Formats: sequence, C-alpha cells, structure tokens
Amino acid sequence: MTLDVARLDLRTRRRMLIGCMLGIAAYAFLIVAIYPAFEGDASLNQMTQDNPTMAALFGATGSLTSTAGWLNANLYANFVPLIALLLTVGYGAGAIAGQDEDGSLGLTATLPLTRRALLLQKTVTLMALAVAVPAVTFLCLLAGPAFDLDPDWAGAVAVTATTCLLAWDLGLLALAIGAATGSRGIALGVATTVAAAGYLISSLAPAVHGVHAIRWASPFYWAVGGGQLTGAGPLWRDIAALVGLGILLDLAAMRAFERLDVH
Amino acid sequence: MVRTGAVTATGNPEPAVRLTHLTKSFGPRRGIRGVDLEVNPHQVFGFLGPNGAGKSTTIRLMLGLYHPTSGTRQVLGLDPVRDHAELMRRVGYLPGELTLFGRLTGQEILDRFAHARAMTDLSTRRDLAQRFGAELDRPVRTLSKGNRQKIGLLLAFQHRPELLVLDEPTSGLDPLLQDEFAQLLEEVVAAGSTVFLSSHDLAEVQRVVHQLAIIREGQIVAADSVEGLRARAPRVIELLFPARPNPATYAALPGTELRATDSRRLVLAVTGPVTPVLAAAAKDGAEDIVARPADLDELFLTFYADKESSHDA
Repeated sequence: MTLDVARLDLRTRRRMLIGCMLGIAAYAFLIVAIYPAFEGDASLNQMTQDNPTMAALFGATGSLTSTAGWLNANLYANFVPLIALLLTVGYGAGAIAGQDEDGSLGLTATLPLTRRALLLQKTVTLMALAVAVPAVTFLCLLAGPAFDLDPDWAGAVAVTATTCLLAWDLGLLALAIGAATGSRGIALGVATTVAAAGYLISSLAPAVHGVHAIRWASPFYWAVGGGQLTGAGPLWRDIAALVGLGILLDLAAMRAFERLDVH
Repeated sequence: MVRTGAVTATGNPEPAVRLTHLTKSFGPRRGIRGVDLEVNPHQVFGFLGPNGAGKSTTIRLMLGLYHPTSGTRQVLGLDPVRDHAELMRRVGYLPGELTLFGRLTGQEILDRFAHARAMTDLSTRRDLAQRFGAELDRPVRTLSKGNRQKIGLLLAFQHRPELLVLDEPTSGLDPLLQDEFAQLLEEVVAAGSTVFLSSHDLAEVQRVVHQLAIIREGQIVAADSVEGLRARAPRVIELLFPARPNPATYAALPGTELRATDSRRLVLAVTGPVTPVLAAAAKDGAEDIVARPADLDELFLTFYADKESSHDA
C-alpha cells in the first residue's frame, strides 16, 4: 500500500506541524536551560505544599524543584500533551469530517483504495503527528545534563511514548466522531471536552480523594498522571491501556467511515 | 469481472452503468426516488436537470460515495461499494464542487494522485495540460475557478479511465476551452471510454451526448437517445394573423401549448402532428408562419415549466 493520502495530508499540515515543533522546542529548551536557576528554590516546593489542590490543577504535585517534578510541572503535565493534542485533535476532526465538509474527501475517496485503506492512512498520519511534539521535547531533554538536569532516562522515554499514545488516542476519538457525524465541529467539541475532562481528572487525582478513585477513566492518567517520568508504575500497563483504547477507537472510526456518505 | 466491452447472453453490450430503482432519501423532498438508468458503453451520456434535482446525489451513489436507501447499482459490472478499489482504478471523476488542496500546486496534486494510482505513463496528462493551458506551478488557492477546473479535468482524465464521471465539467471554462473539451470527449469515446456527463445546461451537452436523461426533483422524467428526445421535443410555430385570433382555440388543440400572444401574433409549442394547428390557422386566415425545428431546449424548458407550475400549485 502506498501512503499517498497520508503524505498529502501531512503536506497540507506542514506549516502547522513545523510551527508546533519549533514552538515546543523553544519552550522545552527554555525549561531545561532555566532549571539551574530554580533547582535550589525551596519556596517553589512550599507553594505546592501550601495549596496542593490548586497546584494539582496545573499539573504540579510533589517537589517542583526535583528533576522529575520540574519536567512534569512545566512540560509533561500540561504543555507537551496540550500542543500534541492541538495537532492530533485538529487533524482527527479535519481528516474525515473536515475534508468531507470542504469537499476534498470526495477526491481521495475515489482513488483506488478501500475505505479501510484510506482510514488506515489517516491513522498513520495521526501517528506521525502524535509523535512530533513529544519527540522534539525528548530531544530537548538530551541537552539537560549540560544544565544540571539529569532525568531518569528510562522514565523520559516512557513518558515520551505514553504522551505520543495519548495524543494518538484523542486524535482517533476526533476521527471516529467525525466519521460518525460528518461534522468537524462536533468532532472537535467532543474530543476537546473529553481531553479537558481527562486532564482535570488526572491532574486532581493526587489531591482530591473523590477524583482519585476514577483516575483510571482518564487517558491522561495512563500517559502522564501515573508517575511515568519516574518509572513509578509498570509501563506495560500504561502502554497496553493506551494502545487498547487506540485500537478500539480506530475500529469504531473504521466502522463509522464505512457507513459515512462522502460528499 | 465484466469490461465495458462485454456482451450479454442476448448479444447486447453490457451497460457501463446500470441503476435499478435507486433511492436515496435525505428528507421528504430531498434525494432521488426510484431512479432507473442504463448507460451504454463507448458513448457520452448526458445527465441533465436543474440545480438541486439530484444529479450529484445520483453520481455519488454510482461511485459508492453514498449508500442507497434502496435499489441496486452496477458500474462497469462491479458493485461500487464492495468492489470500490477495483472500480475506482477504472473510473475518472470530476466532482461538481471541486475542492483541491489550496496550498499545493497543481503539479504536486497531480503527482500525488498519479502515484496513488501507480501510474507510470504521464503522457496523457502532459498533453492535456498543454492543450488546456493548465497552470500547474502555482498554489491552487491562487488560481481562478477555470484554472482549478482544468486541474480537476487532468485528475479525471490522466489515467485514461474506462468510465469518466464528470459533474458539471465545463463550469468556469471559457467558450474556447468548452469546444476543446467537447472535442476531447469525442476522442476518448472513440478510444473506447464511456462518459457520464452531468449538467444543468442543455446547450452545453446536446452537441456531444448520444443518450441523455433528465432528472427533476429526484426522479427521471425522460431518458432516451438525442434523436428520440428530439422527436418528442416541441416545435415552435409562430403565426401572424390579419386580426386578433382566439388563443383559446389554439391552446385547446391536441399537443399544443400557447407560449406567447399579442394583438395579431401567436407563438405555439407543438408536439406531434401539426395538421390541427395548420387547419385552425388556415381557418383564421393566417398571413405568415415561422416554424423552428424541434429543439431539446424546448423540451427541457417544458420540464422546468412543469416544475414551476407544480410549485405554484
């Protein structure tokens, strides 16, 4: 199978992809580079201890000045997933529903491809987009040792992988909703709402008892909320949960796409 | 697999397209209802109707883009959904509302689609690009509608498909290019292709089509060869009298419709024998007569007029 539709879709999103990669690279490098200035700042830790719920809301838990705490609070608990989701949810909503609304899907849907093959190419594109931001962030982390920032590298690889999968999953959710409804707006709305709810659940889980009990319902928990950066939990469990969710969503998207009337 | 040149057990060529009682409902007054169509191979089939009549819906059903509410369809002997990939290898499609990828150049789009079709021979595309003067080096979003349409035509024709499905293909093309396009259709049909051409403009298609069907409000209201339809089309007869005639006398004649009247003149659309009109005109002492040959426009306008009157009712 050729990947012409995937390449076409990536080409049309090239500017946004490059922009997001440059943006997160600049931000991640800055976070790495300024770490020495905060590493000994006890007042930062005091802040999370004094107001743990508010801090948790912004993804900060535990020590902020430890390597893992610093990276989690400034990158993995918020900005990296956020920018990765911006790419994948946007593409997921646009890849079927958006292209159907603007009329370009009619051209690719009349190429000699089955709908399954076409959707598979959209899934591959989503994967490429999902990898971009976490991978660039990881590359910036490699500069860490030069700035006294020496994370648990196995944990860094793990959180990179799980963040990719998180972005892929939520992109697939948007893709599936878009294929089921043919509406880019509904796909964006539902996927964004699910992402926001998932973020809140995962962020508040460490600080709010009631939310802690349902933390497993959030894909954020399996990606960045379960101590992945420090290797606190079994990685295979997180990967299995996120891959399983992705496969289910992809199957749902495929079923919906096969039933969709393409304009 | 049945090729367009295949012959049935009765010796008739297998239709390139066969739609049977095809229905697609979007609501009480939208979609198509019970469409039956057969398109002969190696011909240009004109599919006519006013905007919103159901032309694009029928085309999308033919191509497996839409799922029918009921009925069956077979295109080049294949099921458009089950055999979608195989069918699309043999079909070229130009959508009615062509949307290309705005940031890409025509060349990039054509190359990508050619690669997806595993094309190695790009000579047809090169020839057509030159023939239509297509601008392929600029981003599509900077091109005029006509220039975008040329790229759409190249996408449809570049792989030399057995069946071309063209939805309002000359939209945006200037008159010279419309002539060039008509000539291209003759060439591809002579080379063995079949063309399904939809339009709301009869003048555009009547010089190139062999068969045609007219769709109105989702239903086929006429389907025949051009000659067959021409035989059914009304002739326009204009009569000049020495004094004001009684229009009701003429309107009551069989197959006669009053088109216009003034103090001494009557314009009639006549379908069928003209003898009753001539007899009545002779009785009223007609001074002059002008008769135009049967024109498909008149037939087409009759369907439009029916639509208007049904709306009025």
